[in-house]
Amino acid sequence: MRTRVMRLIVGIAFAAALFLLAFAFEHSPYVLFALTLTLCYAIPAMALNLLLGYTGLVSLGHMGFAGIGAYVTALLMKRSGLPFVPSLLAGALAAGLAGALAGVPCLRLRSHFFIIVTLAVGIVLYLLFNNLDWLTGGAAGLPGIPRPRPIDLGVAVLDARRPVGIYLVAVTIFLLVFALQYGLVHSDFGRSLAAIRQDETLAASRGVDVFAHKLAIFALSAAIAGLGGGLLVTFLRAAAPQSFGFLEDINLLLIVIVGGAGSLFGPTLGAFLFIALPEALRVADSVRMLLFGAALLALALLAPRGLWGLAAAAAQRLRGAKSAVSHAERS
Amino acid sequence: MNVTLTALIEQIANGTMMGAIYVLVALGLVLIFGVMGVLNFAHGVLFMAGGYTCEFFFVHLFGSYPVAVILTMVTLALAGLALEWAVFRRLRVNVPMQIVASLGLILMAQNAAVLLFGPSALQLSVPTVHSFVHIGELSFTVQHVVVIAVGVVVIALLQAFLHWTTLGTALRATSQNPDAARVIGIDPDRIYRITFAASCALAGLGGALLGPLFLIFPQMGDLPMLKGLTAIVLGGMGSIPGAIIGGFAIGIIEAVSTLFISTDYRDMVVFVILIAILLVRPWGLFGVRVRGEA
Repeated sequence: MRTRVMRLIVGIAFAAALFLLAFAFEHSPYVLFALTLTLCYAIPAMALNLLLGYTGLVSLGHMGFAGIGAYVTALLMKRSGLPFVPSLLAGALAAGLAGALAGVPCLRLRSHFFIIVTLAVGIVLYLLFNNLDWLTGGAAGLPGIPRPRPIDLGVAVLDARRPVGIYLVAVTIFLLVFALQYGLVHSDFGRSLAAIRQDETLAASRGVDVFAHKLAIFALSAAIAGLGGGLLVTFLRAAAPQSFGFLEDINLLLIVIVGGAGSLFGPTLGAFLFIALPEALRVADSVRMLLFGAALLALALLAPRGLWGLAAAAAQRLRGAKSAVSHAERS
Repeated sequence: MNVTLTALIEQIANGTMMGAIYVLVALGLVLIFGVMGVLNFAHGVLFMAGGYTCEFFFVHLFGSYPVAVILTMVTLALAGLALEWAVFRRLRVNVPMQIVASLGLILMAQNAAVLLFGPSALQLSVPTVHSFVHIGELSFTVQHVVVIAVGVVVIALLQAFLHWTTLGTALRATSQNPDAARVIGIDPDRIYRITFAASCALAGLGGALLGPLFLIFPQMGDLPMLKGLTAIVLGGMGSIPGAIIGGFAIGIIEAVSTLFISTDYRDMVVFVILIAILLVRPWGLFGVRVRGEA
């Protein structure tokens, strides 16, 4: 009971902090740019975390689904003049359908096989974005995506054409996805997924329909990734195939694994580390990329559960030491 | 459809050459995967390292291409020993972290290449690229023939090693069951070292062979690695004959496909075929169906 109240307080504080950041950095559009970009990547990262962290499936093609969401959202807003929210939802739906379609062949495979086939799906999607010139604008991309129209909230006007406005839109969507992630993980469905991750055969023998569960979470995760993609291109006002290519797939996977797969905050921490920090440090030249590679290698060897896992283990050890002390004092 | 027989034969020959390269990459991947259960996503940078090492030995030290190729394989085998000891031995059970470590290695190696050799692509101008073989109205560089011949010889040697030598038999035994192998006196760690070294030498050989035909640049190994991965899944993960046939098939299919559709879609054809085949045979063309695996 106490932990549940604690969680609620932490959640509300986290949400309030995100909203307050908008006002703290109201006059530094560059910081808001970096934060908004972080949130745009944190959404597909949470989508991938549902697969990787909670179901135990490593997908290397998730930015492809984000790309579907992005292009559908962009085309609906730009060509059909549909408003932002329905376009975004349509994009997520399209990405979810694509995920369901791709999931049928992919999910019949396990571990390494699955990784490589999702990689193939991601590359096929990228090549489509890059080559269907009449639809996606090809390698040149799709510029001129409109931002959502200003909304009058009574007390204030939310103008998404300003940095603060689009940041608040991103925070809202991010928090909804975060809540969805939380709800899923703590539902019966989420517990079945955890059972599949731990032992597929045992889960099946206890009556869990393994394939149906995997397909459902794969499609849902693709839809969430599509939502993130749609938000990303609305924020950047342009969609380009390189944003959804193989390198981005790798980047997303790193965000989730380094942040800490299987923890609620891990993907957000990872997105911050991989999007906002490089933006701030201007990581571009070879020496720094080389050092970054070395850091990844060290992390793989030293922190098998990611940074969030490392922090959790440290906290546990601290608590363990404390309880050991109190135990010693009692006896 | 105006596809002449000459053009078809030309593309099949080109495809066989690329196929031989893919087989070298795929064999390296399948050896490590079969024996250690590790998927090395950094295999492409070993391929790239092979290209640069060969260029270094050829241009700066010896001026003899065959000597440079052999030294490249030795160098890469040593690098493989170091990598196995420092990284992959410790990550044998943790698949996500294998990927993170591989990506760390990719970043390190590609940026190190830029720092050491500069950002522009290098040309490896060996004599075999400048002389040609004429067959009817077709002509190929001698290097095409060299690549295919070396590929075939390496495949034959590897098969002979695996099936006719004690060490090769020990390697297959370890891949089937490491605990049982230990019981009969095989040291699995030694086998892992040898496998990783051999795999890296094969990747380096691939880079050294393809370098003269294409250019040598930091990302030169990316596509061959993706095609190599596709080849081992297509052939059936862990199957060596599958990797060989898968590699050649991918090389020929993508070369021939350029006759019928735009080259923009060349890479897509291969991946679409992979997905289609896995729909019908999830365990690959030559893989063994393992209960619970597929």
